[in-house]
Amino acid sequence: MSLVIDSVYKRFGDVQALDDVSLEIKPGEVFGFLGANGAGKTTAMRIVLDILRPDSGTISWNGRLNTEVPRDTWGYLPEERGLYAKMKVLEQLVFFAKLHGVAPRKAEQDTRDWLERFRIPEYADKRAEELSKGNQQKIQFIAAILHDPQVLLMDEPFTGLDPVNAALLKEAFQEMKERGKTLLFSTHQMDTVEELCESIAILDRGRVVVGGTVRDVRRSTGRQVVRLAVEGDSDIDWLGTLNGVSVTRRGQDYTEAEVARSQDPATVLQAALARGCTIRQFEIADPSLEQIFIEHVGQIDTSERTLAPRGTYP
Amino acid sequence: MNGWRTLFPNAWYISAREFRSRARSRSFIIGTVILAVIAFAATQAPVLIDFAMSTSQTRIEVLVSASGLPSDSQALLAGKLNGQASSASQPAFVLSWLGSGDLKSAQQALEQGKFDALLIVDRDPASQNLAFTLQTDLTSDGQVVGTINQAADWLALDDGLARAGTSIGAVQATPFAVVPVNPSAGPAKNVSQEVSTSLLSTGLIVLIFMAIVTYGMWVAMSVAEEKGSRVMELMLNATTPLQMLAGKVIGNGAAGLTQYGIVLAAVVGGLLAQGPIHQMVLGSGSGAPFGGLDPVVLAAFAVLFVLGFLFYSLLYAALGSLVSRQEDVQSATSPLMMLIFVGYFMSIFGLQAIDATWVKVASFVPFFSPYLMLARVSAGHVALWEFALAVAFLLAGIAVALVAAARIYSAGVLLYGQRVGLRQVLKAARVSR
Repeated sequence: MSLVIDSVYKRFGDVQALDDVSLEIKPGEVFGFLGANGAGKTTAMRIVLDILRPDSGTISWNGRLNTEVPRDTWGYLPEERGLYAKMKVLEQLVFFAKLHGVAPRKAEQDTRDWLERFRIPEYADKRAEELSKGNQQKIQFIAAILHDPQVLLMDEPFTGLDPVNAALLKEAFQEMKERGKTLLFSTHQMDTVEELCESIAILDRGRVVVGGTVRDVRRSTGRQVVRLAVEGDSDIDWLGTLNGVSVTRRGQDYTEAEVARSQDPATVLQAALARGCTIRQFEIADPSLEQIFIEHVGQIDTSERTLAPRGTYP
Repeated sequence: MNGWRTLFPNAWYISAREFRSRARSRSFIIGTVILAVIAFAATQAPVLIDFAMSTSQTRIEVLVSASGLPSDSQALLAGKLNGQASSASQPAFVLSWLGSGDLKSAQQALEQGKFDALLIVDRDPASQNLAFTLQTDLTSDGQVVGTINQAADWLALDDGLARAGTSIGAVQATPFAVVPVNPSAGPAKNVSQEVSTSLLSTGLIVLIFMAIVTYGMWVAMSVAEEKGSRVMELMLNATTPLQMLAGKVIGNGAAGLTQYGIVLAAVVGGLLAQGPIHQMVLGSGSGAPFGGLDPVVLAAFAVLFVLGFLFYSLLYAALGSLVSRQEDVQSATSPLMMLIFVGYFMSIFGLQAIDATWVKVASFVPFFSPYLMLARVSAGHVALWEFALAVAFLLAGIAVALVAAARIYSAGVLLYGQRVGLRQVLKAARVSR
């Protein structure tokens, strides 16, 4: 009883888009797809949706092949956003719902409810081209869920949303999860993944480099991280001199250091106490997903996240 | 290809959307209005021509200095000047018969512009034949002066016959008989019927040609637009390529038919209004505008119009799916355009050689039959089985085009980026659903 992607290969010309991808996504789970641009996330989603056919391998939902499950099982928010520019918002949402077999009256009512929730009820009779990008994205999300699909596949749903709209969308995610839907989405934003996802997979050049529950992934590296903040004295250079400890992040709020596998993180605390420091914060943490991502994939491609030139991101 | 069973209702929803968005677009509304206005104006051309004719009336005063003219001379001159149309409300010539009036006052009236010409009828003292002098500023070798000259000749002839003791009426030929060469071909058509039939079949061929080029392009455009705006992926999740293909062809075809219907209504309305308008402008009615409309030809036109559009628009949809931007549609569809033009010119030339073998053969080929079979039907040189066979071939062609287009389409819609080569499409079509 789950979404199973089994040994899927897909090749476009010289590019191996998917290379032996196997994943299992449990029903009711929120699953994050991480990967640099061109890692194969979109291809994987299209193959799950049976828009593309794999060269080999199978996809199944609750034991049925994806070529045989009804199409209204899936809700899809594509990365390439697309709406009919000249069509009114309500009209086209009802149109998409009708294609999935939803009765027009119900489609219209549900659309109005969702527009209300997304705080844009006045846009029902506006043409799509008149909406801002963020608002178009919300319309796109509504289009993906109106037919009450069991599985939601969303390609970069948070790209281009301001914090308020991102929060609205996260709320909607929560509600979908509470309704028992399975959510799979791709993103570059690590904080969103840490906030929402129970499981993740990191793709790199068509291969799954690491996958599983967020907790397992964090621990898979075998790295230990401590965060330490002491009263008054922000200069804790001595930390780096400890055996098997290296400082990875120095900040005003706390200092982060990596502790070798052979060492007990508690030795850092003991050392601090031995120096008579007043401890404000001590935390044994798992490495952040960002660190794990960089470790597996290399530098994060920030081109879609920020306007800053490549390489200046910390 | 398991999309066959589930073609509806989605194909229906898509076609309704296509129709609505097409019919609401500004270009559709403006285009339809302009076409309807032009069509209406064209139907009023005869009125316009009559109107222009009516203003070019020639007024002639006739002064008779000769004695002993036959009593019917005035009626004869008027009849010959205005020909068969002498009964029309607006005769080309207006006669003012002065008899043996005053030359001075007649010339004065001419100089004041009350008349266009002064005809003086005299008698040659030697031969006793009539002699004419025309005083006028009209072109001496023009058509008007030529007509007056001919009418004057009749007058001289009548006068000569009268002096010989007989008259024109007495020597005129018995009715002029026309007998067809080949009696089995039915009654001979007159010239105006012949011309209007040939004009009509050319017109119908142009109508089909325009519909295929214009509305086929709409289909290709709408496919490319969907790809360009990336709605395609959403559509692909909700529907099958076959449903999309069918919906687009039906929706755009219906929009095209609507435009045609409106223009046709303007034409029929214009023809019906011709009489009243003629009455209003010129004070008299005008006749029979529907000459040459054969119900058999119209039925053949309707069948070939619909099937021809279906066949070509499927191909247009397939080609439209190969490009990612609307700007590229023109170049992607140009091979198809060439093919359509070839068929069009073949049928226009074919009208001149309707019984040639190449016309007969080509009229069965699906790419050309919409025009050529229509040309043959309107020329009346085709058996029912021939028409049925051409339609059957066309239907088969549509079936093949549908399968091929659905394959190319489902492969093409996902190939974004640069223009897609044929080889790439064939490869993609093999693996896609």
